[in-house]
Amino acid sequence: MSGVLVTGATTPIGHALMRALLDDPDCERVLAVGAEAEPATLPGYGSGRVVYERADLTRPREVRRLLFGPARALGIESVLHTALHRSAIDEGGRVRALNVESTRELLHLAERHPTLRRFVLRSYGDVYQIDPGRPVLISEEHPLDFSSGAPQFVRDRREADITVCTRMGLSPMRIIVLRCAEILAPASGSQLYDYLSAPVCFRPLGFNPMLDLMTIEDAVDAMRLALGSDANGVFNVPGADTLPLSEVVREWGRRGLAVPGPLLAPLYRFRTSTLGMEFRYDLNHRRFHFSAVLDGTRAREVLGYVPSHPIAWPSGGAAVLERAEPRSKAEATK
Amino acid sequence: MTAASRLARSVSTALLPRQERERLAHLRFHDAGHGYDLLGLELDALIAAVAASSFLYERYFRVSSHGAEHIPAEGAAVLACNHSGLLALDGVVVVMDVLRHTNPPRLPRAVGDLFLQLLPWVGAMFARVGVVSGTRGNFRHLLESGELALVFPEGTPGIGKGYKKRYQLQEWRVGHVELALRQRAPVVPVAVIGAEESWPQIARIDGVRAFGAPYLPIPATPFPLPTHHHVYYGQPLYLHERYPPDGADDPEVTDAAAAEVKAAVAALIERGLAERPGVFR
Repeated sequence: MSGVLVTGATTPIGHALMRALLDDPDCERVLAVGAEAEPATLPGYGSGRVVYERADLTRPREVRRLLFGPARALGIESVLHTALHRSAIDEGGRVRALNVESTRELLHLAERHPTLRRFVLRSYGDVYQIDPGRPVLISEEHPLDFSSGAPQFVRDRREADITVCTRMGLSPMRIIVLRCAEILAPASGSQLYDYLSAPVCFRPLGFNPMLDLMTIEDAVDAMRLALGSDANGVFNVPGADTLPLSEVVREWGRRGLAVPGPLLAPLYRFRTSTLGMEFRYDLNHRRFHFSAVLDGTRAREVLGYVPSHPIAWPSGGAAVLERAEPRSKAEATK
Repeated sequence: MTAASRLARSVSTALLPRQERERLAHLRFHDAGHGYDLLGLELDALIAAVAASSFLYERYFRVSSHGAEHIPAEGAAVLACNHSGLLALDGVVVVMDVLRHTNPPRLPRAVGDLFLQLLPWVGAMFARVGVVSGTRGNFRHLLESGELALVFPEGTPGIGKGYKKRYQLQEWRVGHVELALRQRAPVVPVAVIGAEESWPQIARIDGVRAFGAPYLPIPATPFPLPTHHHVYYGQPLYLHERYPPDGADDPEVTDAAAAEVKAAVAALIERGLAERPGVFR
């Protein structure tokens, strides 16, 4: 991966990724793409290895200029596309243009590009259908959420994901789609982070599903491994923290309150309309009832990805990293 | 520690002898990092459930165990059992019996019906004590992880059958042998005697489908009767040694293998019925 083009480089994930790429001696240069005019805090900005380009990816001509201008001049080989609209409450054509159309344009132009050889999309576990009739452990073959009532936040992610998947095996490039667990961090589009910002967190009475959460560090590890891989395909990227919703609330130092399920939608709609918060209960309704955990077997076997950065919970708790062998409570206590 | 964990520990301490608590603490499971496995099993909750079920197992149903040496001490295996009773208490009896008769203890992960997840509290509680919803993916994960899976191939029709059909095996599903063949896991036939008389069903209302339940049962008694339960384990069937792994895709092979398991369970039922001195004795 001598040269990498990173979209969404000015986000917290983009910054962490830039740092990881700059630490990698195999990465000679990075073409960082963002919406900001002057990204002074961008890691490596001003050094010879990082070139920053401001681009509006919703405009096809900008994408063309980016790829056939600086990317060609720098001999970029890989595209890592992480730029998606993070807000769940924004909707409309402009949001879709960034989430879906820019991905389509970027991919199609990249296929005709003289130097690009690899395309990596950071996708989301949100694209999967959560259903009590489906396995708790979600493999890459799990059905996607095609429900007619799915919010644009999910529809866009699903369409961008499928747009890239349809070119696998047909494209001259190596294509990898990373369906990542939710990153519990600020400014990363995390619904749960916003949910946990309230002092009291409501959850459905009688349900306590298992959730899988990850850190920026693990997401960056997975993206870095994908950039260095010759594989083609879809990979689930789970996090190191798998725990029930009630434990998430407790570990975050919040008070959990179970209320009858039908009250949750109006409660959180009211919260969004009055405080302008990001958390949407209609987006999270199913995963607040039924367990859904990403199965990372394929990512482990093909990419060598193993989650190794547990969340530093405000409570002081931390996940004990999963071991290959089962162990007993007595052994854990020792 | 959460309030639920504190409550679970209090129940265990109050109802379970220390020696048994310590023995159960040696139960090995795949901790995903926070004391839960990926499917939601939590040991404190399991031990509390064992403590709460001890009265049922020891005093109420006075369970007798036969052939527990056939339960594999390690590695993936499938326990295939007959099914009966309105609330599937036979599942509780088998789980308790396997935990009691394996050392270090092995937890059979009961594979339940899909609608269980839809039931408030019940779905969450079952997940904590190791019950998994009966999808192919969950079942495969158990066997790939080297666990003991407890299946009731009769499914819901097993617990829905009338009193006149007691000990008559209903349609025997084949999913468990498909996965056993593919994962190279032995199948241990299991028969529970006594459960089919403990809570007779006199009628059912098919139109009521609350929380996805297939029907509303009408029991003959308000509580299960204290029939003497016997659990019989048969010789493990190493189907994978006689059928190729790709036989899992061949309906003729899976039908034949499932029929073999069904016949083994039927033989155990016949033996159990012949050996018991009476329904309550």
